[in-house]
Amino acid sequence: MHISMIELKAALRRCFEASGYFVGNYEDAAEMIVWLEKHGLQGLAEFTSMLPYLCQDQDKPLSTIVYEDSCAIVIDSHNRSSLNCIAAAVDVAYLKAQEAGIATVTVRNCHNRRFVLKAITDCGRRGVSVAAYWQNGKNKVTEYTASIKAGHRYPSYSEALTDLNYCDQQQQSLTIICSARVDLQPSLKKITAVGEIQSISAEQIAEKKQHSVEQGIEIATQLWDNINRIGEGVLVESTDQSRRGAG
Amino acid sequence: MTLPASIISALQGPRALPLRAVEQVMDVERLGAMHQSRLSFMRSLMRRIMRECWQIKIDKLALDQQGYGTVIYRIQTPNRVYSLVIFSEYLADEDRNDRVIASKWDLTMALVDGEIDDDYLQMLQRNVPRQEAGRVDARVFVLSRANRSMRNFDYIVDKLAGGEQPDIAKLSAVGYLYRTTAVYGSGKLGMADWEKVSSCFVDFNRPFSAEMFVCLMLRNFSLLQVEHIAKNKSVDSFRPMKTEIKRFIGIGNSTGLGMAPYLINHPLLINRWIEMRELALARIRVLGAIDTKVQQQLYVLLERAKQYTEQTVTEDEGQTANNKDLLEDLTALEKNIRKGLHDWDSLLVWSERHCSLQGQEMLVSLMLELYPELVDDLENYLVVDEMMDLDPLMPLKKVQQIIQKRYGWALSYDFSSPQALQYFWYRSQEKMEPRLGQASFEPGEDRQMPLGIAWEVRKCFDLVTSHLQSDPQQSTGHFVLVQPQLRGILRRGQSMNKSSYGDIQVNLLDENVLPMHLLRCKLAFFGVGKFDPKSKLWVRNTMFQGAPLLEEIGLPFNDDWFMPLAPSDGQAKEAS
Repeated sequence: MHISMIELKAALRRCFEASGYFVGNYEDAAEMIVWLEKHGLQGLAEFTSMLPYLCQDQDKPLSTIVYEDSCAIVIDSHNRSSLNCIAAAVDVAYLKAQEAGIATVTVRNCHNRRFVLKAITDCGRRGVSVAAYWQNGKNKVTEYTASIKAGHRYPSYSEALTDLNYCDQQQQSLTIICSARVDLQPSLKKITAVGEIQSISAEQIAEKKQHSVEQGIEIATQLWDNINRIGEGVLVESTDQSRRGAG
Repeated sequence: MTLPASIISALQGPRALPLRAVEQVMDVERLGAMHQSRLSFMRSLMRRIMRECWQIKIDKLALDQQGYGTVIYRIQTPNRVYSLVIFSEYLADEDRNDRVIASKWDLTMALVDGEIDDDYLQMLQRNVPRQEAGRVDARVFVLSRANRSMRNFDYIVDKLAGGEQPDIAKLSAVGYLYRTTAVYGSGKLGMADWEKVSSCFVDFNRPFSAEMFVCLMLRNFSLLQVEHIAKNKSVDSFRPMKTEIKRFIGIGNSTGLGMAPYLINHPLLINRWIEMRELALARIRVLGAIDTKVQQQLYVLLERAKQYTEQTVTEDEGQTANNKDLLEDLTALEKNIRKGLHDWDSLLVWSERHCSLQGQEMLVSLMLELYPELVDDLENYLVVDEMMDLDPLMPLKKVQQIIQKRYGWALSYDFSSPQALQYFWYRSQEKMEPRLGQASFEPGEDRQMPLGIAWEVRKCFDLVTSHLQSDPQQSTGHFVLVQPQLRGILRRGQSMNKSSYGDIQVNLLDENVLPMHLLRCKLAFFGVGKFDPKSKLWVRNTMFQGAPLLEEIGLPFNDDWFMPLAPSDGQAKEAS
């Protein structure tokens, strides 16, 4: 079915709010999904994969700092979705890059890492270049990278199936490099790629956005219903008394 | 939207103009005393239509004798063609309900990009009359509905059918034939997002411009429809309505609590609207020359404002008292000005000492009316990028200082007292309608909307202060990592600190909260008049009263429909 971006954002906000996300975090989470979908980067598909685990985040510990020095930090997100923790991690990367020139943030035990794309785009807009790298899959490892130049509006994104062996440490880990001095533009190595490297340039992402702005977004009816059903958790039952509080 | 350097330097820095103080302007009671002005969205829209000579014609008129059916207007602007589709259906009196939870209306409408073919009209016919229960696509960018005024509609039809004109006194009591009960835009129900409207439909790229346009068109359709029905009722005796009377008929509007969350959830946008209005005032204080012509015009406007206020009908005690105060203020203002008007600053200071808030803000609107050349260009800067970024670099100590400096008003509430947290705002299961609940006995506080900004600021301030005792060098970025529940309010505080006016200074959870002030503030920016509160939670008002008629587009236009007065019997008889 056809929906607008603001409808999707509002429904997702209610959905995350009802799932125990904090004020500030539920707006971020909704923005990340809508941003990916709007730019042709499968935000809704990624969200669908995390939907069964959505309510579990509120029972997990908050992110903790495992290690930190002047230009590096390691954060344990305790198996939270990146929707619920990655914006704060990228904020710290931005902070360190401003202070040290270049900084590395490693986020461990973090799911749905594709959503980092929205957070790094915000950094680019604010004048800091960012590159992110992560792997996924046990039997077949896929590599992902995304980056944005300082002052730019759109990132580029690549993914490739590899012949790399499964590495426990890389699983659910995300590395973010952030610099206020140099533009970072990582590219995946062909030598480890099995088949084509799928790349989407900043220009292609911009084109996708224009299409979404003009046409809106298509969503599976079942997913839309699920989002709204979860979001009903923030609604309060209507009574005669409550109707007296309506304008 | 990025502001040009000339506007930025007028707002801040060494060449800044003398803006009124934040604590004065953002006080919610003062915001609730605002009146329409040259910068109101309806005025701005009307100027654009008249200057650009929009061509608005009827493309399809398929109404039966009772006025039920379909009408399509074709709107040709210098940039694009749009269509306004109106569906008029029979509605039993007992089904007529202005609340958002209603499901049937006398009229439903959609503003659509481009021309409409039969297939598309059928799609609209299936969905538009159902409003929230229907779906449309991104060609549609406003969806609205309206109900007939029971007091006026049939009365005017009967009068016109009998060859008579409606009684002016009756029209003064209710100056409209229809009331809108909701005007949806910006992506609701599948419509085009604001991002599309502002970038593709540039004729409507100012705030609520498309929504206001639909209300204007509804007003014009209502005039067409009563004449159509009256003519069919008695073709021989029918006489059309006099132009002066038509011009005095506006569109009614019922606005409820839903508008209040909007103001709290869009603080940067509201700041911008207020910033531009205050900048207009500051320009006048510095650059507004006072000569005999200006003084004469001011007397005329003062007299008009008096008559307008006298003609405003309300049963609400508070509003009646406000109107009475305003009348006294206007008389006192005139008396004071006649003693000699030398500079605007002195008059403003005098008004702050001797007039009610209603009177003080009326003076501001009158001053804006006198200097279009200092005011009107600011209508181009009422849009803002509403991005609120967290500044992770900011030392927590600075955050503490910002809260003390910009949110002192929030810290002044005593939240240990239950009275400060007496209410909570929530969304009902009924159409997600925003409602106000009493914390002591109503369920739902656990699901409240985060509109208690003062309370959020207080909690944030206490945690920041406590944290600084153990780590005085902490940055915001590190703090948020361990206190993610403060992300929203920290981001808001940092962002609003960069704005001239910041947040509206009110605790919306307090026992003395009057949501009406928020509704009134936004409605004044829209440009409505004749405020008639029906409770502390909703208000009736009138839109586009006095605005030019469609047939007057292309004719001389002096943009002088501020505070429109009822035509005198003589005028009504002469004009035709």
